[in-house]
Amino acid sequence: MNLDWSVVWQYSGALAQGVLITILLTICTMLIAIPGGIVLALMRLSGNRIVSGISACLVEFFRNVPLILLIYWTFYVLPVFTEITFSPFATGLLALSLNVSAYNSETFRAGINSIRKGQTEAAIALGMSHTEAMLKIVLPQAARRVLPILASTWVSLFKDTSLVSVIAVGDLAHTALEIRAQTFRVLEILTAMAVIYWVLGYPQAKLVDRIYKKWGVKE
Amino acid sequence: MDFDFTAVLDSWQYLASGLGLTILLSVLTVILSLVCGTAVGLGRIYGPRWLTVPIVFYIDSMRAVPVLVVLVWIYFALPLVTGVNLPPFWAALVALTIHISAYVAEIVRAGIGSVRAGQTQAGLVLGMSEAQVVRKIILPQALIRMLPSIGSIVSITIKDTAIAAVIAVPELMKRAETVSGQSFRPMEVFTAVMIVYFLILFPTTRLIDVVYKNISYRGRS
Repeated sequence: MNLDWSVVWQYSGALAQGVLITILLTICTMLIAIPGGIVLALMRLSGNRIVSGISACLVEFFRNVPLILLIYWTFYVLPVFTEITFSPFATGLLALSLNVSAYNSETFRAGINSIRKGQTEAAIALGMSHTEAMLKIVLPQAARRVLPILASTWVSLFKDTSLVSVIAVGDLAHTALEIRAQTFRVLEILTAMAVIYWVLGYPQAKLVDRIYKKWGVKE
Repeated sequence: MDFDFTAVLDSWQYLASGLGLTILLSVLTVILSLVCGTAVGLGRIYGPRWLTVPIVFYIDSMRAVPVLVVLVWIYFALPLVTGVNLPPFWAALVALTIHISAYVAEIVRAGIGSVRAGQTQAGLVLGMSEAQVVRKIILPQALIRMLPSIGSIVSITIKDTAIAAVIAVPELMKRAETVSGQSFRPMEVFTAVMIVYFLILFPTTRLIDVVYKNISYRGRS
């Protein structure tokens, strides 16, 4: 077996661009999915049964379908419904955001529910409105408990962005698979791809452990 | 906009056999991952020290690398290294097992860690061997506490098998692609298949929640 690792250097520019798109996609998705998750969680917790029902259906649906299928589905269905052609990046971003918003919503809901009811009651007894109690008492405490889980969702999201390669978003996985098809240097390119993901993902996974140690809820 | 589900109905048998393969792959992966993951997790806690370093490296690496990358590497690159060519189904089984075992190992570790140290000490004081303490005191409680996490592993596994479509395992996702390509009805085909996945995944996760609610008291101490 003859290996030729120079192909990795030869295409290092393209790979770097792939890395950039992967990171950009992760950041953009999280920026959309955190507000999205908060909205879904507040809808779920609202007194209105229709509103909370809609949120529950959305969350359960997007949590219980494979992400790769969701990406395909968005890719084919979105242009038909809206009659606008979205770029692959925007399509991937939307699919990832739907998925991660659903997960985040459950995270936020659990965080809010973990703050004892007595705290809201005390705030209301002190003359705060429901909204005020939520904003000033419950959410600041919930945010702290939610942080470790958000961090591990972040790492999952970072890995899941590789799935958008199926609709030809120029992310790292897609770029690497393309180079593999062009050069037939299968082992070198695939190993390089795995190593790049590892180098990027490993510190994140370790950081999540540290966040858990510092902020995780202990019984 | 017109909907036409005849393409889905015409090829339902083709899709159904894909579903069968999805379920087979999921069941095999879950069983294998539970066995391997438990072994790895126990090795990390009770194994000799030199063993923990490679185990921690393996677990953290799997947490850092996407399952797609593992899958593609095992299918395309591994044959070049070893000379053994795995058929797509077996490559998917191996890759998913390698990936998911790491998560199972973490769950096992967390489950065992949640049983207080006093229980181990009490068992040892009563004259049990370490193996006996693990088998008779720690694991029965830890297993029940691990159940919700095992439930999410099952759900993650079923969802991850869809990624095996990338290496052309003819499971439900791959067959959906094929049917949508032949019929030019991607919207209907993917919508139908998405609903099928939901109908499998949702009851599975709910079932595990219900089972856990009924037996969680046995894990308390």
